[in-house]
Amino acid sequence: MKSVLIIGIHGALAKITAELLIKKHPQIRIHGVDSRTISDVPLRSQLTFQQMKYTRTNFEKIFREYNFDTILHLGRLGHSRATGNINKRIDINLVGTNTILELAHKFHSKKVVILSTHHVYGAHGDNSMFLKEDSPLRGSFKYAELRDVVEMDQMCTNWMWKNQNQIETVVLRPCNIIGPQIKNSITQYLKTSYAPLPIDYNPMFQFVHEFDMASIIVASAESLKTGIYNVAGDDVVSLHEASAIVGMRKVKVPIILVEQLAKIMTPVWKFPSYLIDYLKFPVTLDNSELKKNLGDNIFRFSSKEALELLKLN
Amino acid sequence: MTKFETLEIELEKRYGKNRDPWGLEPKRAIADLKVLYPFYEYYFDVQVHGKEHVKDKPYMVVSNHTGQVPIDGMLICTAFATELEKPRILRPLVERFLAGLPFLGRWSSEGGAVLGDRNNCLNLLKRGESVLVFPEGVPGIAKNTKDFYKLQRFTKGFLRMAIASNAEILPIAVVGAEEFFPYVFHLKKVAKLLKIPALPLSLNLFPLPSPIDIYIGEPYSLPKELSHEALDEELEVHITNIEKKIQELTEHGLKHRRTIMQRLKK
Repeated sequence: MKSVLIIGIHGALAKITAELLIKKHPQIRIHGVDSRTISDVPLRSQLTFQQMKYTRTNFEKIFREYNFDTILHLGRLGHSRATGNINKRIDINLVGTNTILELAHKFHSKKVVILSTHHVYGAHGDNSMFLKEDSPLRGSFKYAELRDVVEMDQMCTNWMWKNQNQIETVVLRPCNIIGPQIKNSITQYLKTSYAPLPIDYNPMFQFVHEFDMASIIVASAESLKTGIYNVAGDDVVSLHEASAIVGMRKVKVPIILVEQLAKIMTPVWKFPSYLIDYLKFPVTLDNSELKKNLGDNIFRFSSKEALELLKLN
Repeated sequence: MTKFETLEIELEKRYGKNRDPWGLEPKRAIADLKVLYPFYEYYFDVQVHGKEHVKDKPYMVVSNHTGQVPIDGMLICTAFATELEKPRILRPLVERFLAGLPFLGRWSSEGGAVLGDRNNCLNLLKRGESVLVFPEGVPGIAKNTKDFYKLQRFTKGFLRMAIASNAEILPIAVVGAEEFFPYVFHLKKVAKLLKIPALPLSLNLFPLPSPIDIYIGEPYSLPKELSHEALDEELEVHITNIEKKIQELTEHGLKHRRTIMQRLKK
């Protein structure tokens, strides 16, 4: 790895990944981009960054200039910040990703790592425990706002198999990423006092610490062969247990009230409506494929330890 | 040492203090058992026959399904947790409908129930758990009065899973549960409209105190050369054998049946 493009450098996970890459490969050259205003990026001589619109022209310019051999696409736009702006999400998640994949091929990059999510499987009452990578992607069955997430994953995997002889591509589907720096919906939920907690459901959850996730992204870029990989540790924790470990007071109410309370609390706590189903039904991942390729000791923190660290923070 | 103290020690040995991935919370399961046990012992006066057939290993426990509401499953699970030398929490595979219900879905999974799914079943057997299945499905439990104790045809999925995981089949017959609701008519069309598995209409709303006999048969071993991908025709003979075994246990139980009247006289 000599020249790496990180898409979504404003995100905490991207920053940790960049730090780890620099530590492991001091000669590396990383260029980070983001459509958002970029702040708090670590000052390292190996790392440059720029804010830009995700247009073909802009991407072509940097591909020409930096000659990237590795692309880390960590810039999927989540829902908590973009609720209500579906056009922006489709533009970034689908059109932007398609452009990046095309250019990676055109400019002969060797490796592409794409960060998808376990939300693509969807939270359903009939989900079995430990879903494998070939499980159907039912994330958008009930909620149209997850359509771009599922379509992005499918677009990447189709492209991955089509171009497997020219470029190595890894699609990662992590469970809930949590950590002191991550600001995704589930971390916000766990850290919010008096957020509603369903009293009538208690699904099982898996959590991966942000540091472990960044390490796996680095390992994927270094050595993981083309394929789709679930990212989750071995232990599972129930929602109520997770909530108790983090230690924030919650308002225990039936699930039908959770959605209403979530709407009321929108100004202080953005909780997308599709996530309500994830508080009802389990989406747990089988990790055998990842462990087969990266070994049994890839996780430094278990789900419970990740939650305890979140509490300390 | 009481039944529940022994159970607590055994469960802690098996599960530790944590929940298992399917949501079983050992402490909660024991608390539930303590509540259910008086009904099991005094209200339904459950007697278990053939305990000596159960060894300390994983089984695919296969039972007839009777009584309109799945009380038979709860009674079998209570029997396995309280009556055996090596007590265990049986893992009943339940309808998707139940797993999605508020409160009830949570309560059942914390007590050991698991969504009836191929992967769940295989993973549980692999981890050394015993699973309880009712291969008659809803047609078994939701019968009109005239069809009481008529065993419905078994589906084949459970057998394929038992073969794939090398688990022995433990046949069970529950006798007495059909008398919980002696006069039943099923509103099949209304159930379909409401998207629920069954809607029985009965004279009594609460199950009658019919005495229950649980007969545990000898384990049925499947030939080692039988593949879980075998043709349906190859499995048919084993399905028939297991059905026959459960039917024999049921008929034996019916011959020695204790009635509600006998209990009342006593």
